[in-house]
Amino acid sequence: MTNAEQKMRVKAPARFPWFESFLEGWSIFKQNLLGKIGLSLLVMFALMAICSYIPPLINPMYNPMTGVDPDILGCTGPSWKHWLGTDFMGRDILSQLLAGARVAFMVGVSAAVMSVALGTAVGMTAGYMGKFADTVLMRLADMIMVMPTLLVVLLLAAVFGQLNIWTIVLIIALFRWPGVSRIIRGQTLTLKQRPFVEAAKVAGASHMRIIFRHIMPNVLPLAFLFMTFRVTSAIITEAALAFLGFGDPGTVSWGMMLQWVWKTGNMFQAPYWLLPPGICISLITLSFYMLGRAMDEVLDPRLRKEDQTD
Amino acid sequence: MPLLNVKNLTVGYNTKHGSLKAVDGVNFTLEEGESLGFVGESGCGKTTMGMALMGLLPPNGSVREGQIIFEDKDLLEMSPEQIRRVRWRKIAMIFQAAMNALNPVQRVGGQVAEAMLVHDDSLGEEEAMVKVEELFDLVGIPRDRMIDYPHQYSGGMKQRAVIAMALACQPKLIIADEPTTALDVIVQDQILEEMKQLQKEFNLSIIFISHDISIVADMCHDIGVMYAGQLVEYGPREAVFESPVHPYTKALLSSFPTLTGEKTDLVPIPGETPNLVTPPAGCRFCDRCTQPGTTCKTEPPEWVAISGEHKALCCRC
Amino acid sequence: MELRRYITGRLMQITLIFFVILTVLFLLFRLAPGDPVTRMVDPDMTQEDSDRLIAELGLDQPLGVQYVIYVKNFFMGRFGYSFHYGEPVVDIIWSRLPNTVLLFTTSIILSALVGIFLGKIASWHKGKKLDSFMTLGALVTHTLFLPWLALLLIWVFAYKLGWFPITGMISEEVWLDPESGFVAKALDVMYHMVLPLSTLFLIHFGAYLLIMRSSMLETLKEDYILTARAKGLEEKTIRNHHAAPNAALPVVTSIGLSLAFSINGGALTETVFTWPGIGRELVSAVSQNDYPLAQASFLLIAIVVLLSNLVVDVLYAYLDPRIRY
Repeated sequence: MTNAEQKMRVKAPARFPWFESFLEGWSIFKQNLLGKIGLSLLVMFALMAICSYIPPLINPMYNPMTGVDPDILGCTGPSWKHWLGTDFMGRDILSQLLAGARVAFMVGVSAAVMSVALGTAVGMTAGYMGKFADTVLMRLADMIMVMPTLLVVLLLAAVFGQLNIWTIVLIIALFRWPGVSRIIRGQTLTLKQRPFVEAAKVAGASHMRIIFRHIMPNVLPLAFLFMTFRVTSAIITEAALAFLGFGDPGTVSWGMMLQWVWKTGNMFQAPYWLLPPGICISLITLSFYMLGRAMDEVLDPRLRKEDQTD
Repeated sequence: MPLLNVKNLTVGYNTKHGSLKAVDGVNFTLEEGESLGFVGESGCGKTTMGMALMGLLPPNGSVREGQIIFEDKDLLEMSPEQIRRVRWRKIAMIFQAAMNALNPVQRVGGQVAEAMLVHDDSLGEEEAMVKVEELFDLVGIPRDRMIDYPHQYSGGMKQRAVIAMALACQPKLIIADEPTTALDVIVQDQILEEMKQLQKEFNLSIIFISHDISIVADMCHDIGVMYAGQLVEYGPREAVFESPVHPYTKALLSSFPTLTGEKTDLVPIPGETPNLVTPPAGCRFCDRCTQPGTTCKTEPPEWVAISGEHKALCCRC
Repeated sequence: MELRRYITGRLMQITLIFFVILTVLFLLFRLAPGDPVTRMVDPDMTQEDSDRLIAELGLDQPLGVQYVIYVKNFFMGRFGYSFHYGEPVVDIIWSRLPNTVLLFTTSIILSALVGIFLGKIASWHKGKKLDSFMTLGALVTHTLFLPWLALLLIWVFAYKLGWFPITGMISEEVWLDPESGFVAKALDVMYHMVLPLSTLFLIHFGAYLLIMRSSMLETLKEDYILTARAKGLEEKTIRNHHAAPNAALPVVTSIGLSLAFSINGGALTETVFTWPGIGRELVSAVSQNDYPLAQASFLLIAIVVLLSNLVVDVLYAYLDPRIRY
């Protein structure tokens, strides 16, 4: 190999650079109090979601949707049989709460994964292709970002009738990708200039190969970060929809619970029904936010406390 | 009586890696109307020293020892309120990277006027603007640019505006920290010429800080060479520039190209600056020195007088 | 003047976006499964009225022609008749608009100003108890679920304590009384506005506080702050006159970015408090299958969002001379 060729052998980053940074990030994360609180809360919710399968197995009257206690037919307060009381149809509130946790994770995570996947794909394409594709995609992103998601879904509900939960998730994802794509695009633009991409091009790599093998691994950590934020907005949107009465009537979500307590006029008399779902929604949002902030610190070295000398 | 007399100045920083002395035992004096230049590579402590003179150290820095005697008063003994009054009125500063030294959302003229208004209660706003006009004339900025914002100025104009601002209160001393680093050579030359003019006109004392020894040699009567927080050579410009004594100064000079004289190879200085958290016991330059002595590594060097004011901190000289 | 060109440019952009939305809506309502006629014409109408309306809206024409008629109708304010109210849609949404604008604008301005002010203070006391308290408070209030917060406020302050009315924007007694002057009516509205406003305010101010806080901390590290200090200015002056105006800029940007989010919140608030605004109208129209009203409400909301974006952009341009010149 000649001298020139040797000089051109620019080292591409490790195959999975994000794995090493993940380990490094974890040690930084561990020091962050907010992150730890956020994570523990999330673990608690996850446990709730898992436990949601238990009550109906104990006794069919605990089924959140269809369970009716033969002895109680209306709204009652907390008791030994029903730790959080019953709703207006005599259904157990605690089981509903646990089921709600399951729905929240399902909606949140699926919508987040979908919107981040879409946003990353669009962002990388726009950043890498540049020019026309870039302009068109970013204009599209701008337009979508202006739209209030909740109201759009409302309108779609008007046209298409009652929406099922997965349709809701899909629509949420379709309206949430623009934010992600902007950031990913920016990152792609920076990466495009890096020597290792140039080297790959010179070596004859196809565009697809460059995108997947070189750009994507470096862009993923950022994408992961954005997932945490997308999860919360998806959960809130679904909850708001359910609250207004446009959720999937077959799914018990926290928003749905609030709808019931509100519409059946029990909100003033039944704090045990009114408070738990709202607390859960707010708390899960808070914990994802804390997690996101901690991850922010992990990914952006400038924010780390240890580097601040004042 | 010298205008400025710095005795045994030691400035330290507390960092996550430990405590370090960025400036260690520096002594120098400055007379009125004269200029003194400090040269050294990045991290040698020259900027820290400039900041310390103005009392502008960041929260994790502090003066550990020494005295800064300005017009017969020790600045380090003053209260924050007193220092605030000394700032700009007596000692002004021209910062490194003047590109960002001006507030982007305020008009330039207003910012220069502000410097005057802070220190003179009797001055009205209109009067201040008239003075700003005069200052702009002095530094060569068209008067109608006063109402513009910093981003509308070119690099050279910004630098001139910063100089005008420094002169606003007619200080006795100006500390110029790498004022021309970000400019292209032609503008750099112009600015330096203007500074020399202004110095003569107002009998200013200037402390000029730079990593570029040729600029310093051009501008200043005396030169101080700094390395790793210490002053290693000091003297009149001809002496230091033409007959350097300390190995570092020599190395510094040979790492710059010259237009005249023989064509010689540029010789970069090998090695790195020492760790200041745990500084070496002996001479700090020892590891990179081309002519180390036997005791250099273990014994701290002493000041050696060469001739007149010229002295160097070296055992081998 | 750069500013004028900038505004014109943005105005054109918004108009373009609006037309896209208009078109998409058109396609949505005409092409979605089901008979589009039932979506435009009230099934309870007489045959005569129904035919007239169909002709007016051009529902019997090919799609291209329909589109032209549609756009024309839009600009002439002919949105059809509301199924639920039986009145022209345009009258309904026009009467709701001021109510929404009042609540929306007031809440954004209030939360922005308070958020900026508190964020500034929080940054001064960084690391100390006041800062931690404010940051945590902002974080907690910002993540509360809006409808739930609204319900809580109603429960505590309207129901239990009886300090504020539970729903509505006006008290009939005050407004129907021929004696009550403008002031009395205005006060009445403000009285009804306290709870909805508080809800929106609590949810939104936290974000602005946090952004202002970190923005201030970043700004204070800038070179020109060092210059200000070197000039001998007092710390207070430096923070308020030099740092804050620069630090506030990212907050203004974020107001613009979160407008969609704010509108969502506005619609939810209006619904819970029965505040007669467009957001609430949209929600009830959808649940009653009142398609003409739903469509028009959505369009009007879209206009409100787009114009608000423009206002924020202009405000930013005004505050940051780097954009203007």
